[in-house]
Amino acid sequence: MAAGAASGHRVVLVRSLTLTASLLAAGLGFIVFLQFGASDGFDAFDVLRSVLIFASTFWLAWGAFTAFAGLTSRPPAVPRAAGPIRAMTAVLVPVYNEDPVATFARIAAMDASLRATGWGDRFHFAILSDTRDDGVAARERVWFLRLLADTHGEGRIFYRRRTSNKGRKAGNIEDFIKRAGAAYDYAVILDADSLMEGATMVEMVRRMEAVPELGLLQTLPTIIRARSRFGRTMQFAGAFYSPIFARGLAMMQGRTGPFWGHNAIVRMRAFAESCGLPELSGKPPFGGHILSHDYVEAALLARAGWTVRVDDDLTGSYEEAPENIIDHAKRDRRWCQGNLQHSRLLLAPGLKPWSRFVFLQGILAYISPGFWLAFLAASIAAPLFAPPIDYFPIEYWPFPVIPVSQVSKALGLAIGIGGLLFLPKLLILLDAVLRGRAAGFGGAVRAAQSTLAELLFSSITAPVFLMFQTRSVLQVLRGADGGWPAQTRGDGTLSFGDAWAASHWIVTTGAVVLGTAQWLSPELVPWLLPVALPMVLAPAIIAWSSRPSGTALFSTRTELRPAPVVQLHDRVMLRWTASDTGQTEAA
Amino acid sequence: MMDLAKPEQFDLDRLAEELGALPDAPLAMPVQRLEPPVQPARLFAVLRPRSGRMGKVGH
Repeated sequence: MAAGAASGHRVVLVRSLTLTASLLAAGLGFIVFLQFGASDGFDAFDVLRSVLIFASTFWLAWGAFTAFAGLTSRPPAVPRAAGPIRAMTAVLVPVYNEDPVATFARIAAMDASLRATGWGDRFHFAILSDTRDDGVAARERVWFLRLLADTHGEGRIFYRRRTSNKGRKAGNIEDFIKRAGAAYDYAVILDADSLMEGATMVEMVRRMEAVPELGLLQTLPTIIRARSRFGRTMQFAGAFYSPIFARGLAMMQGRTGPFWGHNAIVRMRAFAESCGLPELSGKPPFGGHILSHDYVEAALLARAGWTVRVDDDLTGSYEEAPENIIDHAKRDRRWCQGNLQHSRLLLAPGLKPWSRFVFLQGILAYISPGFWLAFLAASIAAPLFAPPIDYFPIEYWPFPVIPVSQVSKALGLAIGIGGLLFLPKLLILLDAVLRGRAAGFGGAVRAAQSTLAELLFSSITAPVFLMFQTRSVLQVLRGADGGWPAQTRGDGTLSFGDAWAASHWIVTTGAVVLGTAQWLSPELVPWLLPVALPMVLAPAIIAWSSRPSGTALFSTRTELRPAPVVQLHDRVMLRWTASDTGQTEAA
Repeated sequence: MMDLAKPEQFDLDRLAEELGALPDAPLAMPVQRLEPPVQPARLFAVLRPRSGRMGKVGH
């Protein structure tokens, strides 16, 4: 009990420190910009721009201080049960128009990995198909039988296809629980592209067994199999920075941790009792099914008194990710709608304050790019509304007073904001070098080169993402529903024409921004170039970054030494793809 | 005994349905209440000033 109270106090302390530091940084940005803006006469535009700087800087500072918190601690020792495992666990694999060969091969690999632990009989797999395409569904049935034959999985591996997609993925899981949930103590929830070591799943069960009030345990999935320049950069960033950010977050969230929808284990009874999702009143995008159901399920578990935890020390948890900026933006459009829909739930009865804050954070993550754009627009337009400079502000003083240049303040502010963006990543690099973690990324020198290259790449692509995110927010706000598109997987190479078709409006916006700035505030043009130039070059950046990566930069541990379950998956894929033609013809 | 290595010999749909059937072990999953009694949007609507409306009092 005393340990719990101490842990609670620590959580409150870290939250308070992070919030205070972020508010101070944002307040400093506000004051400095107000002084800069008022140097040529004070007007309403100066206040507006300073408020926008406050909001944007607060969001950046929050991220930076989360990383700083993460750097101050190591993964805590968590209790785990020893001895034989008696609990039964269902491994749930929801699929939606996926390639059954790749997906079911992952199941075969995970099954083999589980059996190698000696606890294979304590785990069942359930393929939960929401596939709408009858051709894909026919292939799913054929490959399911092949999966059974290969794994001798009859009675351990199940397949069912829903006739209706009610509730999408959350409804798919709910349907399983209502039919078969009582047969299991735990459920490992995966995505179609998830891979997990058997030993990791066994460890997750042991950790659940050791803490009866633990309702959900989330792992930090590592991105694997990225091949494109964009994909490998994201893969490196995820593997190198994310554990530190996740640990910082874990220090603040206490018992109210996150659920990211997959690569997590839930206590079946807790999940069934607490997580039946209602359909929200009204039409999409704000009404209807809850799109980003995972955040809501985590909040509901916490509301019911269950602990939700993320253990960033759990390795052997993998996922795949989009290979190009367009696919990333499509996925982000769905997440944007889901996060903005959470505005309906901010006042939901009984939620923990942190759960409400998480909803707010998600909303801010999508609307904060709008603050930057509004700031840029206001800065370009400001000269139109600025009062004329008063060279004789003192009555009866015969000599003109020349305003002191405040450019140094603007420069200081830009350096400060740059620091909030870059410093956490550079400190993570330093931490990785000092603690030896860099060895998993090709050594200290290679990790440093990769970090610098990633900083450059993320700076160039940030304005493009800013535009896609802003468009998504505007689409949702005007009531456009993004639907439920299937994920694009596999080779994501894009031609310049494809990239142009998807991003010509960004080029136009960038050109208009530069042209307007040149017309109204030519002195602003050099400041705008880091944002506007990538916008003008968006199609080239998108196409170039989708091509296969041949560099030794961005190496990760899983690239240098593929995990056992990844090697198993490779072997199954090799065997199965050789016979794919025959199977398909049989179908 | 069926030879699962040769699925083309069977009615695949029926076979997949039979072999894939989930355990029959229902578990209740009650729907949770999430929407607050008064939505923020409705709250704003209630609080919105209505300066343009005039009461029908007197002539």
